[in-house]
Amino acid sequence: MLRDDSNKYLPLTESTCYIMLTLIEPLHGYAVMRKVEEISKGTVRVGPGTLYGAFTLLEKEELIVKVKEENRRKSYVLTPKGKNVLMNQIKRLEIMTRNGLSVIDML
Amino acid sequence: MAENTIRKIKWFWPWQDEQEEAWLRSMSQKGWHLSLVGLLGIYRFRAGEPRDYVYRLDYQTFPKKDKQEYQQLFRDAGWEYIGEMSALQYFRKEVKEEEPLEIFTDVESKIAKYKRILPFLWLFWIILIVVSPIGISIDNPYPWWGAIQAIQVFVLLIWLFFTYVIIKLMLRIRQLKRL
Repeated sequence: MLRDDSNKYLPLTESTCYIMLTLIEPLHGYAVMRKVEEISKGTVRVGPGTLYGAFTLLEKEELIVKVKEENRRKSYVLTPKGKNVLMNQIKRLEIMTRNGLSVIDML
Repeated sequence: MAENTIRKIKWFWPWQDEQEEAWLRSMSQKGWHLSLVGLLGIYRFRAGEPRDYVYRLDYQTFPKKDKQEYQQLFRDAGWEYIGEMSALQYFRKEVKEEEPLEIFTDVESKIAKYKRILPFLWLFWIILIVVSPIGISIDNPYPWWGAIQAIQVFVLLIWLFFTYVIIKLMLRIRQLKRL
């Protein structure tokens, strides 16, 4: 059984979290940028500098892996380790959202 | 040099990237578009129609193959690659409505950029410390002892320079973290 060390990556930044969410399927850089904007309903935009840095870091930590390379575009997808980290992040966010919503009712 | 190009020498510290970007933009607005960056603050501009280009700088070192993919990603996002000066990567894009004008879209990745510069500065800083005490043995009546001393003063000055750059860069990172 793998030791769960995903806590050391948490909390993820908003950009990193969205980038990982899009990588549930293999995508190359620019496709990730467009999809993040789409699924966040325009609240989050990821610039190429931010994205390249995130790719480098996530690949080094083996949270994503390169699956394809064509026309100088690399495609990445989440690894099992990456999925686990993302799942734990979402759980944390869910707790926070629930806390937030209960306070909003009192405002 | 062709008539329609000019060369300018200007010094920007590593933490002054935003000032450098603003200066390049103002040059383009005057019709001078950056065409090449050379060593140590030498910029070449080509004359053209005045245009509103924003310039953005990244700091990256990588093998040639990764570099092509890196440039492709920026091209896909609408950025034109201009060149590189000691690992500083220069990009530009014409200002249009609805076009994102930042390559770093959060504070964390901006801090990460400055942090990529630091290891190189530390490396020089340490090398200079190791090199500096050479020849300090006082009663050395070598005829070229004066020359050694002169070199030592020189090394010390460069070391102070690097210390200054490291401290200023770390302060800039702290300033960003407070945002």
